[in-house]
Amino acid sequence: MSAFKYGVSLYSFTDDLGTVMGLEDAFHAIADLGATGIEILGEGHVAGYPEPSTVWIDNWYALLDKYKLEPTNYGAWIDTRLRLARGMTAQEGAADLARDLRLAARLGFRYVRPKIGVVSFDLVPDPIWEEAVERCLDLAHDLDIVICPEIHAPTPIRHPVVDAYIEFIERTKTKHFGLLIDTGIFQDRPLPYFPGETPEMRRDFLNGIKVPPADFLAIAQYVVFIQAKFHAIDESLVDANIPWESVIPMLKQAGYDGYLSSEYEGDRAPWRSVEQVRRQHALIRALERAHDANH
Amino acid sequence: MLERTLLQSTGFRNTGPEGCRDGFEFRLRLPSYRGLRASLVDGVDVAVDGEEFGHEMNRYLIGGTEFTLAALRDAADVRWPMDEAGIVRVAKAGGLAPGVHEVTVRVRIRQSYIPIEFQPAIVAETRHATVVQP
Repeated sequence: MSAFKYGVSLYSFTDDLGTVMGLEDAFHAIADLGATGIEILGEGHVAGYPEPSTVWIDNWYALLDKYKLEPTNYGAWIDTRLRLARGMTAQEGAADLARDLRLAARLGFRYVRPKIGVVSFDLVPDPIWEEAVERCLDLAHDLDIVICPEIHAPTPIRHPVVDAYIEFIERTKTKHFGLLIDTGIFQDRPLPYFPGETPEMRRDFLNGIKVPPADFLAIAQYVVFIQAKFHAIDESLVDANIPWESVIPMLKQAGYDGYLSSEYEGDRAPWRSVEQVRRQHALIRALERAHDANH
Repeated sequence: MLERTLLQSTGFRNTGPEGCRDGFEFRLRLPSYRGLRASLVDGVDVAVDGEEFGHEMNRYLIGGTEFTLAALRDAADVRWPMDEAGIVRVAKAGGLAPGVHEVTVRVRIRQSYIPIEFQPAIVAETRHATVVQP
């Protein structure tokens, strides 16, 4: 039977990292879950990005060894609006992606998520994405990395953005491009209002775009990584927004055996993230055990 | 490490020669979960005890280089890392009186992956901070 792999993205510790928590504290928090994978954001967690010192890289590998964690996904950006005067060319986008692929490989990562600039409200990526990615496929092959753009609310699974990515995979026959699913697309209850937010300001997708978990089955063969986005889990291990009790059985039914990499995105009170991630792993592991016991 | 607040307590001080201060400055934590190229930071509006200092007029020190807003918008090759505070410089004849001030910052961030109609995103914070020396 397929089994999930469990990891955590350092994004979970946003605002804690660098203020009340250092890099090794984060390694400790992840290893203490019994998780095996660590996900990072290149231009966020690598000191000296994009050219970290050899001292930093040596320390990175020493921490991986000490805490028995493996690098999973490396978050990168193709900042298409970097210049106000003009857009980004495909060559520039490819150069930025290649830079991150090389750094990710130096740090031992297997997946790179490029966050691509968008041109519409429903997050259609800048058209340069296709040429920029295609120019990097040979490099990704050489580095043994899979490039995986993120399917993130408000973009559902049944959407032209996803169709275009799948057409790209089919056309190029590449093994180095796949889909990353952010579980925020399954959110079926509203997020709390942020401080100062009024009903008039509310953006609809924050109430949840409610993608039916069964939609995952149709694209499962293209999915290489899952960011387990969540916002709040209470003392009874009830998630206020994400219906894990229906999401997890569907991922199991699809035979998904990759990473579930926690992405806590709730209240940023200091250290709250550490406890919330523990609750999420307890919750998802219990659902996986319950499913396995019945199949 | 940096303080949790955006405006850092240390570094909040008057600028210019003692006796004829020409403004004040403070250190600012980047309100983001990642480092940014300087051109993606569209300046910072500042208010001190209700007096507004617009982002068009303030100056920005990133990695030791001072930028006007126009220069900042062109600085596509300058990186503002997460773990380094930037400095915001505000012109104000005489500077600020020593003591506690209510300071509001509104940091204007442009992210390429957010629909353009929601840009720049403005991250606001108000806190009390103390100028020690006249």
